Amino acid sequence: MSGEEEILRRFSAIEQAREFYIVGKKVARVDSLEAVLGKPIYTGDLVTGDYVFVRAVRSPYPHAKIKKINPEKALNMKEILGVLTHADIPGENDAGSLISDRPLLAVDKVRHYGEAVALVIGSSIESVDEALAKVEVEYHPLPVVTNPIDALKPDAPRVQERGNLITHFKIRKGDVEKGFEKADIIVENTYRTQFMDGMPLETEVAYAIPEENGRITCISSMQNPFDVYNKVVKILGLPAEKIRVIQAATGGGFGPKSDETPIDVAAYACLAALKTRKPVLSVFTREESVTVQCKRHAFIIENKTAATEDGKLVAWKSTLYEDTGAYISKGHLVIARATFHCTGPYEVPNVWADGYCVLTNNTMAGSTRGFGAPQAHFAAEVQMDILAKKLRMDPVELRAKNILIPGSLTATSQKIDDSGLEVCFRKAVEESAWHQRRREYEEFNKRSMYVKRGIGIALLYHGNTLGPEGEDFANVHTRIERDGTVIIQTGLTEYGTGAITSLAIVTAETLGISLKNIRVERPDTSAVTSAGPTVASRTTVIGGQAALDAAKQLRSRLAEVAAQVLEAKPEDLEFKDNRIYIRDSPERGLDFKHVVEKCYEAGVGLEVEGYYIAPATKWDPETGQGEPYNQYTFGALVSEVEVDILTGMVKVLKMTAVYDAGKVINPLGLLAVIEGGSIMGLGHALTEELIHENGIVVTPNLHTYLIPTTAETPLNIQSIAVESPGRIGVFGAKAMGEIPVVLPMASITNALAHAIGVHINETPLKPERILKAIQQNV
Amino acid sequence: MINISLRVNGRNYELNIEGNERLIDVLRDRLGFKSVKEGCGSGDCGLCIVLMNGKPVHSCMVMGFQAREKEITTVEHLGDEDNLHPIQKAFTDVGAVQCGYCIPAAILVSKHILENHENPTQNDIRWFLRSVLCRCGSYLRFEKAIYEVSQQVR
Repeated sequence: MSGEEEILRRFSAIEQAREFYIVGKKVARVDSLEAVLGKPIYTGDLVTGDYVFVRAVRSPYPHAKIKKINPEKALNMKEILGVLTHADIPGENDAGSLISDRPLLAVDKVRHYGEAVALVIGSSIESVDEALAKVEVEYHPLPVVTNPIDALKPDAPRVQERGNLITHFKIRKGDVEKGFEKADIIVENTYRTQFMDGMPLETEVAYAIPEENGRITCISSMQNPFDVYNKVVKILGLPAEKIRVIQAATGGGFGPKSDETPIDVAAYACLAALKTRKPVLSVFTREESVTVQCKRHAFIIENKTAATEDGKLVAWKSTLYEDTGAYISKGHLVIARATFHCTGPYEVPNVWADGYCVLTNNTMAGSTRGFGAPQAHFAAEVQMDILAKKLRMDPVELRAKNILIPGSLTATSQKIDDSGLEVCFRKAVEESAWHQRRREYEEFNKRSMYVKRGIGIALLYHGNTLGPEGEDFANVHTRIERDGTVIIQTGLTEYGTGAITSLAIVTAETLGISLKNIRVERPDTSAVTSAGPTVASRTTVIGGQAALDAAKQLRSRLAEVAAQVLEAKPEDLEFKDNRIYIRDSPERGLDFKHVVEKCYEAGVGLEVEGYYIAPATKWDPETGQGEPYNQYTFGALVSEVEVDILTGMVKVLKMTAVYDAGKVINPLGLLAVIEGGSIMGLGHALTEELIHENGIVVTPNLHTYLIPTTAETPLNIQSIAVESPGRIGVFGAKAMGEIPVVLPMASITNALAHAIGVHINETPLKPERILKAIQQNV
Repeated sequence: MINISLRVNGRNYELNIEGNERLIDVLRDRLGFKSVKEGCGSGDCGLCIVLMNGKPVHSCMVMGFQAREKEITTVEHLGDEDNLHPIQKAFTDVGAVQCGYCIPAAILVSKHILENHENPTQNDIRWFLRSVLCRCGSYLRFEKAIYEVSQQVR
């Protein structure tokens, strides 16, 4: 074992035992100052001088053959510099984020409303907008299919050349038919959720700058700079070194900014820059963004659940139809996550599930915070409540009999090894005063004629990070400047989650320095290698391990140099309060900066690459059985609602949100993520619905697609973190970014059912849907 | 071209602008106040809110010429790195910043609330802040920040 390895090994042992220095303490985000000062940090703020604009001509039809494109009238306009069609793409016409099923510009057919057909470049945005209407495209409309069940019929119109069924994902555990035979009670229901928009408030935007040496630098708003980079290189047909992609501050991601549209907007800008040799700004209008940005998938889920009369689950059958729209994007992965989680966080001995990912002529769906889990949990958790009602059991009692505890087997027969769910569940029941509130509301409802109140609960488990969705690695590049400043750079991105602050915290912890001595640089494809995608709530968990690896390497190098000066052994040194000192005699120490200076003098390099890859997960694709995820986050959400039964308007009064974060790295960040995710999920529950009429998006703006405001925000969200350490996350951390958005749909639906006496199986819980349910229940 | 004079962040400007230029265009493109953000262009999201004669307005819904002789405030006028405005400090301390895109507008509306309500209630805060959408859902953080500043003032 080399000296360095030995120190690393010993350090690991110390790390297990010691108290944390910064981890888990309340600190401000590393990037919040720029935001409160209103600094120009977003892509659109960075444009200067003489630049031009590019925008796409989009299809008014959800499905049509393109017979002819005539750009002549647009080209004759004074300020128009060019019109590009698929024929002008120098490289490959491929803008699928993972699967190459999607052209950047349509060739002979459009498959969804708003699909890009041509690009118009002009010196003013007004002229470009005017010219869009002057590009004459002759279409021949084709039959449209807009429902996944219809799309599976043999005579359905084909969306692509392949069949409409993309994936049939299966879970086969035990003998489900025998389970149903033995059951005392069976409930069977169909659940529906709609297309929803992640709706980052900064729309897609890219700024491409051609340089003297033929390279194009593209600054953009996105989650995955390397996905954008790789595709733009391919589309432009240039050598890889001729493209450089930099992520500017990004005004919200929520998943869609890891999908197709960030590739589109960057490719539009780079193509136009290649043609005009001028800087180009490409920015989506809100309407464009809502129309074509990847959506949260609409699901139809049929659940059949069997239990004994004392409330033990014996069998569960799920059929999930996922509408992925006209192109696959991440649909084949979302269906896997949804199907894996179809029973909710309960032990069921016999499970049979079929998940179908299906193409339609609806707008494309892809990644959105939660990645299929909110839909699956909505169907599972409302189903559990309906079952409890049939059994005349309190919803909490039924759940207590079936939740995943240490030793339980999930639907994929993966053994649970921690008690995170039990703890979350118990705390949520206690902290919300569940039993007392339930009684109070029932009393209240007897007295109150038009206003009713209710309380509901939902529980979750969430397979962590990528699991079956890809190689779960990260790297983080860390160096120390001569003045002692530590600089972190990685291909992982910040877009609001606060996870990059976690990387800084892990680094500060390991080096015993203050957070203000750490600077995080923007992701730049010319400076760092790919660190994998910034998705699946994996930055703190996986990226944190890579940051830890880098910081430990630096610590080991600093320790060797400091040990020589202090005449001590490197492994006996402590790093704390910007000092490096002998653990047993703290007065014998050196300033961190001084040791850095000594390293520079001695030629000891202080620039390292940290790396981590999670163990590959295994499961059988025929049965779904195995260990698809390395660890699980658990959680419980109690919602309390008030409904006016004359208007059908629902108000969420309070939420009690308890999540097992494994180890809280950044408490203030976690609090914002829990509150914010709960509010986003509240929108999914009550108002959010992207409506298609025969394939045409009719809610393409923020006055028809309604997201929560302060007016809808619960008066109180009680956020509680519990810590049941995970197997792979840094210091035991578990994934948290997406998780709080998973339960509100289910929890609010269950609370509403308590208020009005009937469960509604379809979101959003719009007034007309509620009034209809009340009428039918009378 | 239309000739207008207006005062932005304590400084007078005399400009020739196009008739179709919105206030947001004047502020961002002509004067370089990039803290003003555009999220929709239709008055829904509130990210372009600035204070005009002390009142919050959607700068995407106000034409440039309508700001003639008016006094405009953007976040650039509030504080700097070494001397944060109490609201900016409170936003940082309570962890209000997530993606950051709505923060300038939320801070300006918060300033308006604090300047017009000595002791704002939760209702007051929510009434005014409805005008700013925050998809990250920092609303309860904003409330806490405003509450903390109102306590300091007292």
